[in-house]
Amino acid sequence: MKKASSIKRNRILSNTAIYIILVVMSIIWLIPFVFILLQSFRGETHAQVGYILPKEWSINNYVELFTETSFLKWYANTLICACCNAVLQTMMVMMMAYALSRLRFKGRKFLMNAMLILGMFPGFLTMIILYYILKSMGLTQEGAVPGLILVYFASSGMGYYVFKGFLDTIPKSLDEAARVDGATRFQVMRKVILPLSKPIVIYTVLTAFMAPWADYIFASYIAFGTSSGYNVAVGLYSWLTKDMITSHFTLFCAGGVCIAVPITILFMCLQKYYVEGVTGGAVKG
Amino acid sequence: MATVKLTNVKKVYDKNVVAVQDFNLDIADKEFVVFVGPSGCGKSTTLRMIAGLEDISEGTIEIDGVEVNDLEPRDRDIAMVFQNYALYPHLTVFENIAFPLRLKKVNNDTVYNKVTEVAEILGITDYLMRKPRALSGGQRQRVAIGRAMVRDAKVLLMDEPLSNLDAKLRNQMRAEIILLRQRINSTFVYVTHDQTEAMTLGDRIVIMKDGFIQQVGTPEEVFDMPVNLFVAGFIGAPQMNFYNTELVKEGNDYYVTPFGTKMKVSDKKAEGLREKGVGSMSIVLGVRPEHITQGTPGSKDAFTSKILVNEMMGSEFHLHTTCPDGSECIVRIPTLKLDHDARLALTAGHDISITFGGEAMHLFDPETERNLLAD
Repeated sequence: MKKASSIKRNRILSNTAIYIILVVMSIIWLIPFVFILLQSFRGETHAQVGYILPKEWSINNYVELFTETSFLKWYANTLICACCNAVLQTMMVMMMAYALSRLRFKGRKFLMNAMLILGMFPGFLTMIILYYILKSMGLTQEGAVPGLILVYFASSGMGYYVFKGFLDTIPKSLDEAARVDGATRFQVMRKVILPLSKPIVIYTVLTAFMAPWADYIFASYIAFGTSSGYNVAVGLYSWLTKDMITSHFTLFCAGGVCIAVPITILFMCLQKYYVEGVTGGAVKG
Repeated sequence: MATVKLTNVKKVYDKNVVAVQDFNLDIADKEFVVFVGPSGCGKSTTLRMIAGLEDISEGTIEIDGVEVNDLEPRDRDIAMVFQNYALYPHLTVFENIAFPLRLKKVNNDTVYNKVTEVAEILGITDYLMRKPRALSGGQRQRVAIGRAMVRDAKVLLMDEPLSNLDAKLRNQMRAEIILLRQRINSTFVYVTHDQTEAMTLGDRIVIMKDGFIQQVGTPEEVFDMPVNLFVAGFIGAPQMNFYNTELVKEGNDYYVTPFGTKMKVSDKKAEGLREKGVGSMSIVLGVRPEHITQGTPGSKDAFTSKILVNEMMGSEFHLHTTCPDGSECIVRIPTLKLDHDARLALTAGHDISITFGGEAMHLFDPETERNLLAD
């Protein structure tokens, strides 16, 4: 009896310690978010201040953000890029993954190895040459949005690994059965593979949506100082200069909150599938 | 409904691995043909070539007189049952069976009628609204068969459909396939590595090894007249016993002399040997365990073998014995008429006197491994 109670006491102690550590960690992790959220509702001044809680609560920052700055334009730019990329990249990745997982053709191994090696180079190495190509097509500065979509989409096929890993776990005999049953390759994909790949499709859509949503380097380079071609990251960052910051800091925080909202909602709705997608290769879907 | 003709079919995989060599076979309309052989013999590959799931390296395959070498599986009008069932996990049993009809855009009423009819035949009506994962192995296999049946395809291909089931269920499903075959008038091509399935299901059996056809024949033919040592050893369980011995010709009669005995080859076989002009020679003698009987100890036509293991199978004993030269010999003795003493005499460690009739002997050339009586 004594032994049992001491085991129980030890467990309570160690659990308490673990929970305290976790709570502290999550508080540290949450502070910046709470800080930005609180600042975005501060009414007294646009500049940075030395305290966290606003003295005067107001939604003026949000109203100003959408009526008096180019934020709405930037937001639209980003949303268009992200949505287009989510659709196009998912389709591309799906086709790549299906072909590499299911079809056997000459050069398949070479292609996969080549993409693996190419993928190890950071994407922005190609930035200068891409800029000149896009410029000659009129897809920089004011035309940055279609230009960006093209850049994101063009390289998207290389991110097929996770999708292919998932498809590899779907037995090939399902394809064969469907083909014998009278399906074309496309019908096999649409009626058999796709419904079984829901988690990984959602994972791909999410990642394809996120990349342009948070992109800074390419977006800033291709817009090249033209405000109408900015996305939110570039636009907001342009406020973080010495002369802008005092008049725009709370607006910056409000903008940050606006960026976080759609992503948060997306994740909350789809997190079940997202987890399945990430672990899809390990546990059979 | 359909004939299948394979002419000089060959399959070579990359890196020059030859899976099937020079495969020639005519499958008649409504025939049930079974490909059987050990794993890696090319039987599944051949089936998959008929289905269109593997390219044909050389030769031609015709279905109903039409060459199908370059046709997609869906254009061949075949149905197939897979070893792992290959049911679509996201669809209900009903939709699984209806899948081929949906692809053909058959109207809903016809789909409903056909699916329920097939389900009734297979006894799966109660499960139509379930997903495959909620079914047992036997039920899943029935659904897979249902999906193949609903098409009314010209040829029904089955790739080891029973090998994922447990022994009891396998026997039951085997009987059901025989019944099914009587109901649907299709041409069947069935692949298995289990010789019992091959013997019980097939009108004709194709025995394969290392990509080559060894023998094609009815179950009786391959059992009674195996053309070579491989077929002799493969068909029949427990497998045939082989003895290295001499064939002696004396006048018009032939004798075999295993372990110093002298046993007469049956007149019918002797006649065949005479026709082929066979003289005295070294041979491999094959005798099936069920054709061995207990002889009189010390007589001229029986030899003694030592019992190593006695397996009680219920209706019979399987005795694993060691012959005088150390080779193994399996004997099947029915238990029904054995009294207590006779049973005691068959326990491990005892000697048993072995003999067999002249008609039970299979005579093989040790060099070519061919049956001396085969054409």
